[in-house]
Amino acid sequence: MDLLPTEEQDEIITTVRSQLERNFDLHALAQLDGASSVVDSSLWKQCAELGWFGLGLPEALGGVGYTLAEEALLFAEIGSHAAPGPFLATVLAGRVAALLGESELSAQILAGEQLVALAEPHGDSDAVAGANVSGTFRVTDFGGADLVLVLVGTSASIVAATDLVAEPMASLDRLVPTAIGTVSQIPAICFQDDASAVQLRATVLIAAELAGIATATAEQSTQYAKDRVQFGTPVGSFQAVKHRCADMAVLADAANSLVRYAAIAVLDGLPDAAFHAHAARVVATRAAIENSQINVQNHGGIGFTLEHTAHRFVTRAQVRSRTVGDLRSHLGGLLEQPAAL
Amino acid sequence: MNLDLTAEELSFREEASTWLHTNLPTEARPPEGDEMRAFDLSWQRTLFDGGWAGINWPTEYGGRGLTDIQQMIWYEEFAKANPPFTLNNSCTFVGNLHGGPTIIVNGNEEQRSTYLPQILRGEAVWCQGFSEPGSGSDLASLSTKAEIDGDCLVVTGQKTWTSYAHVADVQELLVRTDPTAPKHKGITWVVCDMKSPGIEIREIRTMSHVTDFCEVFYDEVRIPMSNIVGGLNNGWRTAMSTLGFERGTAFMADQVELAATVERLIEEARVRLGPDGKRPAIKDEELARRLSLARAEVAALRAMTITGISRNARSETPGPEGSIVRLFHGELHQRVYQLALDIIGADALRLTEVDGEGVWTGPYLQSFAYTIGGGTSDIQRNIVGERVLGLPRA
Repeated sequence: MDLLPTEEQDEIITTVRSQLERNFDLHALAQLDGASSVVDSSLWKQCAELGWFGLGLPEALGGVGYTLAEEALLFAEIGSHAAPGPFLATVLAGRVAALLGESELSAQILAGEQLVALAEPHGDSDAVAGANVSGTFRVTDFGGADLVLVLVGTSASIVAATDLVAEPMASLDRLVPTAIGTVSQIPAICFQDDASAVQLRATVLIAAELAGIATATAEQSTQYAKDRVQFGTPVGSFQAVKHRCADMAVLADAANSLVRYAAIAVLDGLPDAAFHAHAARVVATRAAIENSQINVQNHGGIGFTLEHTAHRFVTRAQVRSRTVGDLRSHLGGLLEQPAAL
Repeated sequence: MNLDLTAEELSFREEASTWLHTNLPTEARPPEGDEMRAFDLSWQRTLFDGGWAGINWPTEYGGRGLTDIQQMIWYEEFAKANPPFTLNNSCTFVGNLHGGPTIIVNGNEEQRSTYLPQILRGEAVWCQGFSEPGSGSDLASLSTKAEIDGDCLVVTGQKTWTSYAHVADVQELLVRTDPTAPKHKGITWVVCDMKSPGIEIREIRTMSHVTDFCEVFYDEVRIPMSNIVGGLNNGWRTAMSTLGFERGTAFMADQVELAATVERLIEEARVRLGPDGKRPAIKDEELARRLSLARAEVAALRAMTITGISRNARSETPGPEGSIVRLFHGELHQRVYQLALDIIGADALRLTEVDGEGVWTGPYLQSFAYTIGGGTSDIQRNIVGERVLGLPRA
């Protein structure tokens, strides 16, 4: 038992970080605020070449051959850098297509040649996925997408983006373009009736992204508390600020530890894997929302500006915590799951 | 990153479960006095005879030399075995998890061969003499003085919040040996025989009505210089390694037990009538939400504990990160018992013991200690802020 990354995993983290720092700078990305697409196709292909989209997919299926553990570490970094783009839809769709034997489609997705948007029911309890897709959906990263991964409960379908008409809305997170559309009987290119494994994977990966947000905001506040001088001393020497930073570090550690535990539990197919996935999602959601909010407070006036990146984490936490279920739905099943002990 | 148990760890789990099944006492632990001491020491002796004492202590000092993971497995099996008492609610706590580990790291050979076997065999009860009326969070300001007289320290002063002093044989004691040095530099960590002339013990009743708490007065108490651990005037360093253990691994048993407590609470919520007087408590939306959250948070606590073990496996002594787990645990422990009182309805008005089967209000009152003992939550936040995050001191 060990919940710290191995040397090899640390190397993956380092590579991922350097790409994110170089090419996903939030100040530079700000010019895309409110755009219908935030994907730069050559950059997207670069991420593909780094193996990000097939990181946890077996080599036999065209992937890199690592596991959900490494994928979770990747998503934690994506969260830490508030990197925008359809990472989740791409990783999941590439996997679904590969598992269904659609190797050519999968290869195109994994190579970053086909862009995938994510659709989920939008206040429509009658929405269905499967051989045909119907209902009212919320589609993220729709602009410029070639394909749409539709997730409804435990069903998953991949449809052509051209089959879907969706109206962009003013999205809370300016870098997560979101559109709403109602469709009837769109034929799927391929589909999984029982995509509960995909759903579980999505739960862990979003939890990882949220844990990354909790980590980054804890670090951002700590750094600011060291740098910002008032009353002749760094504000981090005041207990009011220091203790908030400590609490943020506690929440981040709780989220990261449980996310890693959950990733391995799912990977190993442990009997309490689902419990841990939902628990990780709950703990990471609360950590991301709490830390991103208090991070603004810790920065004072500058934290309230559009120029500063603090608000990016606030809106990203709110949006991701409502992707593939929300806090309420993930909390809901926790008492029914078998005991963890 | 892995959750694999080695073949050795798996057979250890099996072995622990089997042994506990036949050897776990069925009678309740006497709540106080000599009966309590006899019960705790006899259980320690049973553990020793069964090969379960000092699981993660080095073999050369009588331990089994096993890993922290195996220690955690032992606690988990203990919690699963439906014990009639909680593990750390014992007067053997300080010796096993505090004094003993400190002697292992900082003691000399003679001290190790004297004290460690006594602790493991259940022959000595240890207590802690750190806090003073004027030195709580500011521990380094302690003023109990010790003057060197020949080959002895002569100690005069007062210690407080000393659990089990009234039944203890020895005490890990912090004294000021150099009043002229800066406050961290003039302190010495010494083993004090509690039967020495000049010691007076007064019991303090806690808000949970427990009587294990004491204050200790020293009037020219003579302690041999050979009882000094870690060197004269080097006591702060020795104490810090002790506190590292306390904040690191000493509360692992409580953390594991809290998971079992939440499961018992869920069972209570299924059988007890909820606030509407019609449906079980678990059908109440607010209570169900809080229970779900508690269940998720104890899972996080366990994962944090494993992360901490993983960190410790990469370093010699536990680092300041232990305070992160301690903080999360203390506050979660309190939330769980606050929730318990909301679930048991009118039974929340009835006072119970602090330990035993189906008791909730006693442990609720006791839970206030979890954010005070071993360094208050505010001190833990300072440690996390300053020593983990590197924020400047005030």
